Amino acid sequence: MLGFYQLYWMSLAVAPFSTNENQLFLVATRSQLPELLHVMPQALAQDLETDSLQSLAQATVGCDFHIKMLEGPACDQLRRLGFCETMQVRKLANGRNMICTVCGTRMALSRDLAAQVKVSPVPA
Amino acid sequence: MDDGFETVALAGNPNAGKTTLFNALTGSTAKVGNYAGVTVEVKTGQTFTPHGRKLEVVDLPGCYSLEGGSPDQQVARRALLGEIEGKPRPDLAICVVDASNLERHLILAMEIMETGIPVILALNMVDLAEKSGLRLDPQLISEELGIPVVPMQANTGKGVVELKQAIRHPLPPAAETPWTKEEEPAKARRSVAYGICEIAARRPTAHTGTVSDRLDAFLLHPILGWVFLIAIMLAVFWSIFSWAAIPMGWIESGQGWLEGLVEDSMAEGDLRDLITGGIIGGVGSVVVFLPQILMLFFFIGLLESSGYMARAAYIMDGLMSKVGLSGKAFLPLLSSFACAIPGVMATRTIDSAKERLVTIFVAPWMSCSARLPVYLLLVPMLLGGSEGGLTQALVLTGIYVLGTLTAFIAAKILRRRLGPDEVTHHFILELPPYRAPQWGYIFRHVADRGWAFVRKAGTVILGLMILLWAAQTYPKSDSEDPGERLNHSIVGRISNIIEPVVRPMGFDGRTGTAILTSFAAREVFVGSMAQLFQAEESDDEDETVSNLRSTLATQTWSDGSRMFTPLTVISLLIFYIYALQCLPTSAVVAREAGSWKWAIGQFFFMTFFAAAASLAVYQAGSVLGF
Repeated sequence: MLGFYQLYWMSLAVAPFSTNENQLFLVATRSQLPELLHVMPQALAQDLETDSLQSLAQATVGCDFHIKMLEGPACDQLRRLGFCETMQVRKLANGRNMICTVCGTRMALSRDLAAQVKVSPVPA
Repeated sequence: MDDGFETVALAGNPNAGKTTLFNALTGSTAKVGNYAGVTVEVKTGQTFTPHGRKLEVVDLPGCYSLEGGSPDQQVARRALLGEIEGKPRPDLAICVVDASNLERHLILAMEIMETGIPVILALNMVDLAEKSGLRLDPQLISEELGIPVVPMQANTGKGVVELKQAIRHPLPPAAETPWTKEEEPAKARRSVAYGICEIAARRPTAHTGTVSDRLDAFLLHPILGWVFLIAIMLAVFWSIFSWAAIPMGWIESGQGWLEGLVEDSMAEGDLRDLITGGIIGGVGSVVVFLPQILMLFFFIGLLESSGYMARAAYIMDGLMSKVGLSGKAFLPLLSSFACAIPGVMATRTIDSAKERLVTIFVAPWMSCSARLPVYLLLVPMLLGGSEGGLTQALVLTGIYVLGTLTAFIAAKILRRRLGPDEVTHHFILELPPYRAPQWGYIFRHVADRGWAFVRKAGTVILGLMILLWAAQTYPKSDSEDPGERLNHSIVGRISNIIEPVVRPMGFDGRTGTAILTSFAAREVFVGSMAQLFQAEESDDEDETVSNLRSTLATQTWSDGSRMFTPLTVISLLIFYIYALQCLPTSAVVAREAGSWKWAIGQFFFMTFFAAAASLAVYQAGSVLGF
């Protein structure tokens, strides 16, 4: 989860790339992030988005998430099992192996694998 | 094409219902279960189109993708590409998909379409999908993919006729796969699949808690989950040993009646002795355990069919990881409690080759149903002859736990020696929804296993019993003393040779001979003991096993001391927990491990380990004064 100061310093870093002074955000909230990403160079925007993501291992139990990206050596295995970008996942239990529902299937997966699934919360 | 008729392959993700459909199409009784990885090898059967054209149906193991995966999943890929020797490339693939999980299952269907084989999509379990709120449009899926789509419920037979109509001759042509022309075909495939699901398989937006969710809250709880697992296992064993006593009594009565009938209608002589003592007594003493074996298979079938098996694997993963195995190894090991052969074959679902090898090696230490007759003969001897009840269930559970713990320790040592995997394998397991057991399949499976046991009793065991009877009857002695007659026979001579070897383990030559005969099949031990020890006892066989126990209890050594002390019985039990006395298991191990070296090594290791453990227990017990 991004803190207030992290966003503040990131927005300062973005400032030199902005062409329109009105679009410069010195302080951005999560709801302002998509607009902020729109005006940034793509690579930097991706970095910023990546930093704002959490892994499925860290995610809160009982919440729904969108899978944003897969990062790690088991990406292909995860995609084969339905953990693909854009899919929605619900975390059901924590532990050594966590339980979640993806594509209507309940899956148990190790923490190592869950750490390779980067998610963002589904807006309420 | 083979023998002039086309081949239709049933492919799809694990637990999509392929084998259920295979059974519905072919009238077979192949094993089905509610967890991923029930089918691990290719099965074939035959069916007819509505126009009477014969088709060969091939049931493939489930796979998540045609790329990579565990050995069973690679079999599916090779079969679809026609790379399996002696198996032609299928002329048509029926891709069985779970309608509730289309996003995932459609991707595999599209991969199969890319192989150039004509594909029909069997949209299975539509009832469950619609019950969960999914709005399905099979027509739209068909239009988007350009292949026939048949909604169905394979377990009730709904849609099977429509499916047969879809595969009528000429077979549908192979569909186009435009996504393969994209720069990133895998990404494009996923995008097409999700696009189809968005319009033709819309999910309800809100996640609603299912019955499975509510049950899992208890059954997969970190503490309660263990309580339930242990309670379920104890309940299974207690039920087996308590409830089976009634049908066992019927078999014993039937056996006594048959013996009486033969004795009344035949004149005294060798032939009557062979039929009553050798055949009815010997085979009957093994067949009497049939109810318990059937009940064991029934309960394992119930656990498999309900969906609890995968939960047990999930709970056990933490414990299994301590010995270098994963929860996935638990399913083959649990299957081995019924029979090591399907257990060894089920190791194909394990991704890591080294973990698979270790699981194959230790699987025979899970006490299989063939050991049950031996345990059930010996355990009451430890408990003063009392049968059934909680104490016996606890002792038997202890025996099973001992075999399992030893297997885990051996696995840990072996896993360490084999070293780490080249590619890290992580634990990932599908937890299927709980379903009402498919009683028809469970009872058919139990009946198949029961028939296999009776067939074995009527062939291998019967043959051995006749041989044993002949060996203990001939050459004949003029003496009237049964002990002296036995000593003069072939068995007596063999026993005299064996006795010095088995004496340090607490056994006499006859017990040693019975052990020797049980290397063909473990269950033979009971029949052999019945024959070898009844030779010098009364011919009252109203209750075969309990009579055998009382016969054994009265046996003495030449110095007058009791032969079957609790220590001797424990020593015998230890030998049977650890010894690998099953040739078919060795043959399957050789095939699955890819080398006879492993099978032979396993056989000798387990036999010597069993003998050494038995010797150590007896000698240590003797020194301590037991």
